[in-house]
Amino acid sequence: MKLELRNVGHIYARGTPFQVEALRGVSLVVEPGEVLAIVGGTGSGKSTLAQHMNLLLVPTSGEVLVDGVDAMTLTKSELRRRVGLVFQFPESALFAPTVEEDVAFAPRQLGLDEEEVTERVLESLRALGAVELATRSPFALSGGEKRRAAIAGVLAMGPEVLVLDEPTAGLDPAAREDLLALILGLREAGVSVVLVSHDLDEVAEVADRVCALHEGRVSAVGTAAEVFYGDPTRAPETVRVASLLRGSRPGIGHPVRFRETLDALRAQQGT
Amino acid sequence: MTTRSLGQFYPVSSPVHALDPRAKIIATAVFVVGLFLIDSTAGLLFVAAALVALVAVSRIPAGTFLRLLRPVLFIVALTVLFQVFFSREGVALFEWGFLEVHSGGLRMGLFLALRILLLVSSAGLLTATTAPVALADGIEDLLSPLKKVRFPAHEVAMMMTIALRFIPTLGEEAEKIQSAQAARGADFSEGGPLRRARSFLPVLVPLTVGAFRRADELADAMESRGYRGGEGRTRYRELRFRVGDALAVALTLFILLVGILL
Amino acid sequence: MQNPGEGTRPGGSFAVSCERVSFSYPGSAQPALSGVSLDLRRGEYVGVVGPNGGGKSTLVRLLNGLLKPESGHVLVSGRDPATEPFEVRKHLGVLFQNPENGLVAPFVEDDVAFGLENLGVPREEMRERVARAVEAVGLQGYERREPHTLSGGEKQRVALAGLLAVEPEILVLDEPTSMLDAAGRREVLKHLGDLRFEKTVLHVTHHLEELLDADRILVLNGGELVADETPERLFSNADLLRGNSLVLPVVPRLALELGFPPAKLRTPEELAEAILARTQSGTRSL
Repeated sequence: MKLELRNVGHIYARGTPFQVEALRGVSLVVEPGEVLAIVGGTGSGKSTLAQHMNLLLVPTSGEVLVDGVDAMTLTKSELRRRVGLVFQFPESALFAPTVEEDVAFAPRQLGLDEEEVTERVLESLRALGAVELATRSPFALSGGEKRRAAIAGVLAMGPEVLVLDEPTAGLDPAAREDLLALILGLREAGVSVVLVSHDLDEVAEVADRVCALHEGRVSAVGTAAEVFYGDPTRAPETVRVASLLRGSRPGIGHPVRFRETLDALRAQQGT
Repeated sequence: MTTRSLGQFYPVSSPVHALDPRAKIIATAVFVVGLFLIDSTAGLLFVAAALVALVAVSRIPAGTFLRLLRPVLFIVALTVLFQVFFSREGVALFEWGFLEVHSGGLRMGLFLALRILLLVSSAGLLTATTAPVALADGIEDLLSPLKKVRFPAHEVAMMMTIALRFIPTLGEEAEKIQSAQAARGADFSEGGPLRRARSFLPVLVPLTVGAFRRADELADAMESRGYRGGEGRTRYRELRFRVGDALAVALTLFILLVGILL
Repeated sequence: MQNPGEGTRPGGSFAVSCERVSFSYPGSAQPALSGVSLDLRRGEYVGVVGPNGGGKSTLVRLLNGLLKPESGHVLVSGRDPATEPFEVRKHLGVLFQNPENGLVAPFVEDDVAFGLENLGVPREEMRERVARAVEAVGLQGYERREPHTLSGGEKQRVALAGLLAVEPEILVLDEPTSMLDAAGRREVLKHLGDLRFEKTVLHVTHHLEELLDADRILVLNGGELVADETPERLFSNADLLRGNSLVLPVVPRLALELGFPPAKLRTPEELAEAILARTQSGTRSL
C-alpha cells in the first residue's frame, strides 16, 4: 500500500499556554515494499510523525492518505491492522500470562477465528525467532526476548506497513543485528518498513529512502545516498569517510552500506 | 506531557504560600476542630469572611478556588434541602401541600452548609498554597516526635516523596501503554461498564508489573547510594519556623475564638 | 573533602580486587559468575564487555555489596562490600543503566543531595557539594527542575552528579548510555571523559567506541573472564570479537579491514587521512 502524508501539521495542547507545534507541513510518501528511515534529533518530531501513520494522533492540519483514500474515512481497526506501530521499548506493554497469548491479542481484537489466530501467532513468532518462547511468561524473559515478543505481537496483525520507533534501543549488538535482518526480511516479503531511528549507522544498513526531520519540518528526503551525501556532517560514518575521500577520488561513488563502502575503498586503494 | 502539579497546588507567590508548611498544617487542623466548636451562624459567617480575606491574600483566583468546592456542592445542596423541608423548628414561613418550611430549618440549613463549605475550603486552601513536596516535609516533621513510639515517620515521609516523584512518570507510562495497546486494536470505549473495565487489563497489568520492576531498580539505586533507613540521616531541605508562621497560627486561633464567642 | 566517619585504611595499590569470585542467582541452573579474578589499579580506566547474561551486571552488584559472592573474595579500597557495604559505597559509586529509576527525589538538587543525606553530611557542607556536583555535569540552572521533565541525557547527568557529590574514588558505570539517544550519549560521555583522570573507572558497555581510551578491556562471557586485553589487541582479534558477540564500531571496523591498526583511528577524518597518507607514500615508494 502507498501511505502518504500531505502537509501534515500537529499542534499539542492547542489553545493553552503549553502549546507546542510538533510538526509543520510534513509531506511524505511510504512506497510499497520499501524501507523508509525517519531520522532527526530529539524534539525533531519523529515519534509524533510515527503516531500519525496509523492515526493514533490526528493531524491538526493536512491529511493522511492510504492508497489515495483519506485515512480518516477508514475504520480505526482497519487502519491499525494495515499500519502496525511498534513504540519505543514496546516490551513495557506485554501483559498476558504467556507470550503466545500476548501475541494473539491483536489478531483476536481483529475478530479473526481461533484457527487463524493460532496460525498468525506461530508465523510472527517464527519471523522473530521466538517460537521457543511461546509458552513462557513474558515477564520472565530477558530484555532482548521481551522485545521480540512485543514486536511479534504487532506483526501478528499482518500489517502492510510496519512502523518501528527506535526498535534497537537498549539492545546488545547481537540482538540488534537480528532486528536489522528482520527488517530486511520483511521488505523481502513485501512489507514496507518505516524505521524511526537516531542511529544513522544502523539506518545506513537497511534504509532505501531517508526522510530527515528538523524541528518538525522535513529538511531532506530522498534515497539514502541523496540525503546523506547531501549533508555529510549529519551522516553515517561510512558516508562521512567516503565523502572525505571523494574529493581526490571521485571514483568512490556514493556508498552507504558498510559492505559497499569497504569495497569502494578497497578498489580505490588500487590494490 | 503538560499537566504539572499534582492535585490542586496553584503556584504563585503570596504570603500564604511562603508560610512554613507545618504552620499551615497546624492552622488547618486547629481550624477544622474550631469549626465544630462554633455553634452560631454569626460565628461561622465571621470565620467565612476571614477565610475569604485569606484566599484573596493568597492570590488564588476566585474561579480556581470555587472549582475546588464543586465536588461538595451536591452534599451541601442535599443537606440544605433536608433541613429546609424536614425541620419543624421556629416559625412556619411557607406551606405547600405537606411540605413546610420553617425559619429554624432555613437557619440550620444555612449553618450546616456553611460549615461543610468552610471545612472543604480550609483543606483546599492548604493544598492550593502548599507544594506537595512541602506538605510531605511538613508532615514528616510533625510526625517525627512519634518516632519515639516506634512510628515509622521517616519511612512514611520517604514513601510520600517517592510517590510524588513517580506519579508524573507513571502517568506518562500509562498513556504510552494505552497508546501501544490501541495500536494493537484495543478499544477502551466500547461496551458496558464491565466490558470497559476489563478492556483496561492490558494497561493495568503491564503498568503494575512495570511499577514493581521500577521499585526494585529504585531500591537498588538507593541502597547503592548509601541509604539505610532514617538513622543518621541529615536533611537537605530546610524548614524554618519564623515569626510570621507563629503569628499565622495565633491569628487562626484568634479568629476561631471570636467565632466561638459570637 | 572527607565523608563523615572516615579514616584511612591501607588498601594496597589495588582499588578493586576480585579473587575467584562465584555467584549464582537463586533458582538458576548456571552460575552467573564463576571463578572470576580481576584487579583494578588506582586511576585505571577499565572496560567490561560481553554478551548479555554473561555476568557483567552481576559483577557490578558484587562490587558494591548489593550481592554477596558464594565463594571468593572481593575487596574495594581495602574493604569487603559483603560485610561493610555502607563503607564501600562511600568509595565506590555506581551509575546504572536506566536513567529514570535511579532518581528518587522530586527535584534535581534534592536528588543530587540524596547520597550526602545518607552519609549524615551537615547541611551547609551539603549545599556546597551539591552546587559543585551540579556544575561538574553542566546542569547549573536545573536545580528546581522535576525529573520527569528532563531528557534521558539530562537524567543520567543528574544521577552522575549525585554520585560525584559523595566524592568516591571509584566509579562503576553499568551501561550508562544504552538507553539514551545519540545526543544524550554524547553529553554523558563528555562528562565521563572529564572524570577519567581523577577517578578509577570500571565501564561496562556494549559500545566499544566508548572504550577506545581504556587502559584495558575485560571480556565476560558465560560468567567467566575470557579475555583481558588492550583496546588495540581486542579490536584486532576477530575471533575474540565474534566469539563474544562484540561488534566494532564502523570506523575501526573499516580500518581493520583495510589493514590499519583499529584502535588508533576513531573518527572518519582520521581514517580518511590515513588512507590518503598511505596511498601517497605508496606512490612515492614506487
